Amino acid sequence: MGIKFEQVNYAYRGPDGQKYLALANINLPIGETGEFITLIGETGSGKTTLVQHMNALLVPDTGSVTVLGVKVTKEAVAKKRIKLNPIRKKVGLVFQFPEYQLFEETVLKDIIFGPKNFGVPEAEAKALAHELIKVVGLDESYLSRSPFNLSGGEKKRVSIAGILAMEPDILILDEPTSGLDPMGRDELLTVFNRIHTTLNKTIILITHDMNTVYRYAKRALVMRSGYLVYDGDPQALFSRKNIENWNLETPDLLALQQLISSELGFKFPHTAKTEEDLLTMLEAVIA
Amino acid sequence: MKNIVIGRFIPGSSFLYKMDPRTKIIVLILLMVSAFLVRSLSLIAFGLMLLMVVLIVGRISVKRVLLGLRPLMFLLIFTFSFQIFFNTAGELVFTTTLAYSPGGLGVVVLLWFFWWFTRRRIPFKLLYFLVVLIASGTLLSLFSYGPIFTTSTIEVYSQGLEMALFIMLRLVIIVTLSTILTLTTKPTDLNLGLEAVLKPFKLIRVNTEEMAMIISISLRYIPTLLDEANKIILAQASRGVDFSEGKLKEKLMQIVSLLVPMFIISFKRSDELASAMEARSFVPGRPRTRLHQLTWRPMDTVALCFGLIILSTVIVLRVIGW
Amino acid sequence: MIEIRDLSFEYQTGKPVLHDINLSIKKGEWVTILGHNGSGKSTLSKLIVGLLKPKTGSVVVDGLTLSHDTVHAIRRKVGIVFQNPDNQFVGVTVRDDIAFGLENLQVPREDMIERIERFAQKVGMTEFLNKEPHALSGGQKQRVAIAGILAMDTDVIIFDEATSMLDPKGRRMIVDYMRQLNREGVTILTITHDMKEAVLSDRIVILKEGKILLDDQAELVLNNRDMLEQSNLELLLPLRVRHALKERGLKHPELEALLWASSSNK
Repeated sequence: MGIKFEQVNYAYRGPDGQKYLALANINLPIGETGEFITLIGETGSGKTTLVQHMNALLVPDTGSVTVLGVKVTKEAVAKKRIKLNPIRKKVGLVFQFPEYQLFEETVLKDIIFGPKNFGVPEAEAKALAHELIKVVGLDESYLSRSPFNLSGGEKKRVSIAGILAMEPDILILDEPTSGLDPMGRDELLTVFNRIHTTLNKTIILITHDMNTVYRYAKRALVMRSGYLVYDGDPQALFSRKNIENWNLETPDLLALQQLISSELGFKFPHTAKTEEDLLTMLEAVIA
Repeated sequence: MKNIVIGRFIPGSSFLYKMDPRTKIIVLILLMVSAFLVRSLSLIAFGLMLLMVVLIVGRISVKRVLLGLRPLMFLLIFTFSFQIFFNTAGELVFTTTLAYSPGGLGVVVLLWFFWWFTRRRIPFKLLYFLVVLIASGTLLSLFSYGPIFTTSTIEVYSQGLEMALFIMLRLVIIVTLSTILTLTTKPTDLNLGLEAVLKPFKLIRVNTEEMAMIISISLRYIPTLLDEANKIILAQASRGVDFSEGKLKEKLMQIVSLLVPMFIISFKRSDELASAMEARSFVPGRPRTRLHQLTWRPMDTVALCFGLIILSTVIVLRVIGW
Repeated sequence: MIEIRDLSFEYQTGKPVLHDINLSIKKGEWVTILGHNGSGKSTLSKLIVGLLKPKTGSVVVDGLTLSHDTVHAIRRKVGIVFQNPDNQFVGVTVRDDIAFGLENLQVPREDMIERIERFAQKVGMTEFLNKEPHALSGGQKQRVAIAGILAMDTDVIIFDEATSMLDPKGRRMIVDYMRQLNREGVTILTITHDMKEAVLSDRIVILKEGKILLDDQAELVLNNRDMLEQSNLELLLPLRVRHALKERGLKHPELEALLWASSSNK
């Protein structure tokens, strides 16, 4: 088992001193390999709080999160019975804004910062950086550049390379495609999908883009005011009646297929998962 | 961060809350000046009593004010002990001889061991420390088992005692006064009040409006920046920065990994904020109208008179030699 | 309403960010500037209100040519909602933030109070007037920004990627206000790379590497696959499907009409 939440509750203290429930009785198993999970929900529903428990940046008030065999509880952390750093190496978390982590003079130095903290020899880390910069879709000339002179999309890629360099078993990304143009978004999603398929790594993605959920996810989680309200198949999620209550939009592809069948009476054998899929079915219907 | 009491507004409804911030600032200054002009212990003690009455009538919890004193505890104790031990004017009121002998020292060492292991469980740490300190002095002066290596004498003089009390009371009064101001005045009102009170400085070309704008924007962005700092800490922690461990060189790196993003983000933020302000027709130095306006009530006149009466009384008393 | 003539701009000499831009926006029109990240589209909005100084060319707003003397008059006519909700919230509370622009324009206090009430209500933020920014969502902060601009009696509102940091709910809300304001006669300029937002406007201008690639009616631009792809943008899904069917030699007039209709807002 990769990560297991058991009856996790977590509240944070707001600026007004009041306590706000951010996670309410979360029970959630996540596989160590082979999962592609998207986590969705409105701003403030607890998505970021949830993923920050996955690499022990936050510790549950009650309940436990077991990460790759290490049981994280409030008591265990208070009594220093467990070390948190090894957990953070194994579960890589990319924050929403790359500006939060980039600080070195060059992209190379920034990418090897993580591995060096975990005791990886510098030469080894550098070799890894040369490899990873290509994985995230940039070329090696970027390594000698300053991370602050890059575009938003490039900064994002560098920050992802910096986490990948820690060679985590599980990769979590908090809204990695927000603010990117369509081309940049698609390229990045392809990168994640490649990491997922070639290395069989579990990937967890926070996103507001339902098309991403529909296209890539094998499993969808929906958070709402601190509660996990849905855990299951993304296709099944969007065929539910109450998704509007959760403020989720219907993915474009599904909406279009539904429109075509209701307006023109086309009968489709199944719901299309990809554009190509829809086109093939349309071809069959028209011919 | 959570224990900062100075500068924190606590909502309430007593007369102190309804007063104009300008009045509060001016009266605060008047009373502080008075506290500095007073020279006798009895007068300053009377002043503190008066202040207690204000606290009670103004329904301000004494505990809050005491919390405000906490950061100054060290200073208070330092000046107090300095006066007691080194001021040798007046009559000798107390003297004792400390004898350093193996037995006495042994008992004292045992006492400090006991302190070391129990200090975490006692709520009033400083008080506990003082009690143990005085107890060891007492032990040394009373017991002497075995040969005496050396002795030392402690002498306390009447003026030293008086001055120590006097300085301590004055500090307490000043801190309490400023705590009352910040406790009962919203930061925005405080800012407006400060701007109004500082207006005369315009004559010497200090731009008080810009200063007020700077303060108000700082007030607006402090929570945002704290939140951001916290996120950066978490982001670097997930790259293996362990803030609780590390050698000096690593510690330095850890700090750099926090400060650089913090600076970069803050610069970007201030740049965007400046654009947004300019786009909304803000021109530094140009006159603006104000949504918030301060209203002077009869109560404010009363308070101001009260402050002035105190100050003039103190001046008169000082002139006639009290 | 806005006339831009031969406008060029560069941050560093030799590296033009905008090059020979000519653009005219009529009163009451809704124009979208589409472009990928780094195409210079946000620089354009700053040039229009004089936050940046052009290298060559001119900007005329409502008959006033932008210059040192007219810049303040122009800023009264053109308001900008910026991308980051947090970095344009000046006030300590919602009320103070809406007041900020009015204070700068030296609006009398009585008038100010009335306008704050009116425009807070217009964007549905009346019950939040005393709230501090950290208690608001991104969408709510952007609504406050809109109210702050409307209160200043502006004729044009530029939405400079104003929805890109919001969640879908916040985005929908802001887009709804754009539509409503445009119906009420406010001239709107949206700067975005979101095709779904672009669909709503009358006209679309595609910006690529600082130059105008295309400037035409929204429907025509949206269907121009070559131009969109050249600038890192994509066709809306129904139009992609329509193109693909055509390429495969499939004909179905009803389906084509449906695909066309579903990608248009009119």
